[in-house]
Amino acid sequence: MNGSPPVVRLDGITKRYGAVAANQDIRLDIHSGRIHALLGENGAGKSTLMGILSGMVQPDSGRILIDGQPRAFRSAREAITAGIGMVYQHFMLVKAMTVAENVFLGYPGVLLNRRRMEETVAQLARRFGLDIDPAARIGTLSMGERQRVEILKLLFRDSRVLIFDEPTSVLTPRESEHLFDALRRMAAQGKAIVFITHKLDEVMALSDDITILRRGSVIEGLATTAVTSKHELARRMVGRDVLLQVQREPYEPRQLVLRVDGLSNAGLRDIRLEVRQGEILGVVGVAGNGQKPLVEAICGLTAPAAGVVRILGEDWHRFYTHRRWDGNLAYIPEDRRGLATCRNLDLVDNFLLTTRQGFCRGPWLLRRRATRKALRLIRDFAIQPADTRISARQLSGGNLQKLVLAREFFRRPRLIVAEQPTQGLDIAAIQDVWNLLLNARKAAGILLITGDLTEALMLADRLAVMSAGRIVDTFPVDDADKLDRIGLMMAGSAA
Amino acid sequence: MLPLRTFKRQETHWWVSCLIFPTAIGLSLAICALLLKLQGKPAIQGIGLLFQGAFGSHWAIQDCLLKAIPIFLCSLGVAVAFRLQVWNIGAEGQFALGAIGATAAALQWPGLPGYALLPLMAAAALAAGGLWGFIPAVLKLRMRANEIIVTLMLNYIAILLLDYLVYGRWKDPQSFGFPMTAIFSDNAIVGRIGDTGLHWGLALCVATGGVLWLFFRFTRLGYELKASGENLGAARYAGLPYERLLILVMLLSGGLAGWAGFLEASATINRLQPSIMVGYGYTAIVVAWLARLNPLSIGLASFLLAALRVGVENLQLDLQVPAAFGGIMEGLILLTILAGSFFADYGWQWRRRSA
Repeated sequence: MNGSPPVVRLDGITKRYGAVAANQDIRLDIHSGRIHALLGENGAGKSTLMGILSGMVQPDSGRILIDGQPRAFRSAREAITAGIGMVYQHFMLVKAMTVAENVFLGYPGVLLNRRRMEETVAQLARRFGLDIDPAARIGTLSMGERQRVEILKLLFRDSRVLIFDEPTSVLTPRESEHLFDALRRMAAQGKAIVFITHKLDEVMALSDDITILRRGSVIEGLATTAVTSKHELARRMVGRDVLLQVQREPYEPRQLVLRVDGLSNAGLRDIRLEVRQGEILGVVGVAGNGQKPLVEAICGLTAPAAGVVRILGEDWHRFYTHRRWDGNLAYIPEDRRGLATCRNLDLVDNFLLTTRQGFCRGPWLLRRRATRKALRLIRDFAIQPADTRISARQLSGGNLQKLVLAREFFRRPRLIVAEQPTQGLDIAAIQDVWNLLLNARKAAGILLITGDLTEALMLADRLAVMSAGRIVDTFPVDDADKLDRIGLMMAGSAA
Repeated sequence: MLPLRTFKRQETHWWVSCLIFPTAIGLSLAICALLLKLQGKPAIQGIGLLFQGAFGSHWAIQDCLLKAIPIFLCSLGVAVAFRLQVWNIGAEGQFALGAIGATAAALQWPGLPGYALLPLMAAAALAAGGLWGFIPAVLKLRMRANEIIVTLMLNYIAILLLDYLVYGRWKDPQSFGFPMTAIFSDNAIVGRIGDTGLHWGLALCVATGGVLWLFFRFTRLGYELKASGENLGAARYAGLPYERLLILVMLLSGGLAGWAGFLEASATINRLQPSIMVGYGYTAIVVAWLARLNPLSIGLASFLLAALRVGVENLQLDLQVPAAFGGIMEGLILLTILAGSFFADYGWQWRRRSA
């Protein structure tokens, strides 16, 4: 650490939600000119802490000192005035307006000269190496470019501390590199950078200081130079050894369970792919390149406009007009809270959501039998807490996902569509979900849609790269040549 | 800034929920007393009259029960629709259609024996009320018409239809020009329970409430309704038949309000006339919300709001307050209880002074 006083000091910050302490006596220094990584499993309290720092959340106790002076933020505006700005995962930009207009949005002043606005923005962008056209409309920009606009907004307001919440989650590998360069440049010009992540590579590559949070408390604050390996970092973060390795048996593909041929829909162009029982096909690509419409077409939420989708040997329309509840297709959606479960219903009701046909006699629902079954699955899948009477919203992300998996596997599916199955989960839960999916591969074909290349490499037998609504290429996961070019493929260039 | 800090409760303590209801009622009564005072009426005495009117005698309580019957049935119907997050505010119109349907049967076959005619009238009311619920459901599904607007507008159409019939085709020639049908034959009138003033409609309420409770708790369809109402996205994900559920719910909702109309026409007024419309369908919405859509609580809340109506009648007679006073009180109770439910979900504490 350097000797200069910190620009921001958190002193004993505590924030409780009911009985749970999201933040417990947090002490943390943020220095100018340094990149500070905030690392922790999901639910460790990173987001709450950054919410407090950016004025969105008020702490129960503790102080925030800016340049040694205690300050209390009652709104995000007050934090911005004090020089603290945040780049959220979901961008907050007006799509119909230009880059310069978005940067100036909310800036006091009645008459603004368009050319001077654009000049100012261009100058700022040059200074920090954020390549962008100030006159472009947001709607026409890529995710990486939009992120640059968010950063420019903060720089324009002279923010001295810039907080990034999982900034690389929507970027291509290339765009991530670009972002890292810009971050280093900002730090070199005296800005303090805080970034929240659970990607260990990024922490090792980018940060100067690391703070590890676990269950709401700071476990460790250390300089990145003091960390020898990613493995060590993972161990410190989780508090025990996690092997980010899974056993993958060689697969033997059997019958065809999904065939998509020439599928075109809104956002999809001429999709061709096949999934066989016994294999995992990983669909990789940057989010928003057609993954969502693909999943919706396969899972029956939108009808295919053109082309063939055959599921378990049946045509799409036939399959979805009379499908049995079991031995069929199971869909594990990305939005497990909004789509896969009902937050206010108890675990039995949530278990029944897709399995109700299996627990019926005439008009009656056999709830007692369902409760017994649910309880057994909860034990088998080690879902905590093991109580069927609690409602879904009381489960953590990892446990909720395991509940969804338990329910969907109970249906003995022959085709599984898993969409970002480990997004937002902690390392231990990721490991569990990966093993469960690999295990399910024995009986089913799995279409795995993921934005996490590590996950795809870990699980998939074959990869399909998606870009701009098309499948750029499909190849076995051991094809080293093509793996090397995967970043280019994601960016849209042909294989 | 207020030195108060609010936070969301993880779970609600039972005593908090128990406290909210009486406190809210007390608060709304206090505001009413204040309103009486502003009109220059004796406030405390006024509130006393209200209670005396509603609970002061065994006749009063009987009157409350009689008025609670149509409110209860309408409210059950409304609650069924609300469970699926379909905002049916057309109980008033469905009630009118039920009365019209029952009257049609009663006028068509006056000579049939009671055991045949009454079920026939009930079925006609169910069908007519159900039809009035079916129309907005279909419009919602086919044309994405907002059910709030459609059900509300259908109320006025229903009332005009009722007027048209009693002023025209169904007008009793011996009514000296008054808009009303002839009095029903004895076979078309729901009988009294023993020698009390209560009629067997009360038993119908108890049975319907029980059946609905069983339906929601133990049947697959009831479960599907509950799940769809909780989360439409999940319903689509799980392949729940939302369109069929919506139609079913609106048929049921309209049919129950229709039964309320049948009982009012048959047991209370013994004929059809415009004065049958006294706003039970709107009160039913208040009741459903107060009871948080729970059938048992709907019974209790129906009785309380019926008591309010009876009590305000007394107040009107003795203190000459305007008739709208009852509506004002109804609104006050709803608003105070809704505001009070904030305290069920949120706690608060004094903000400690931080250095």
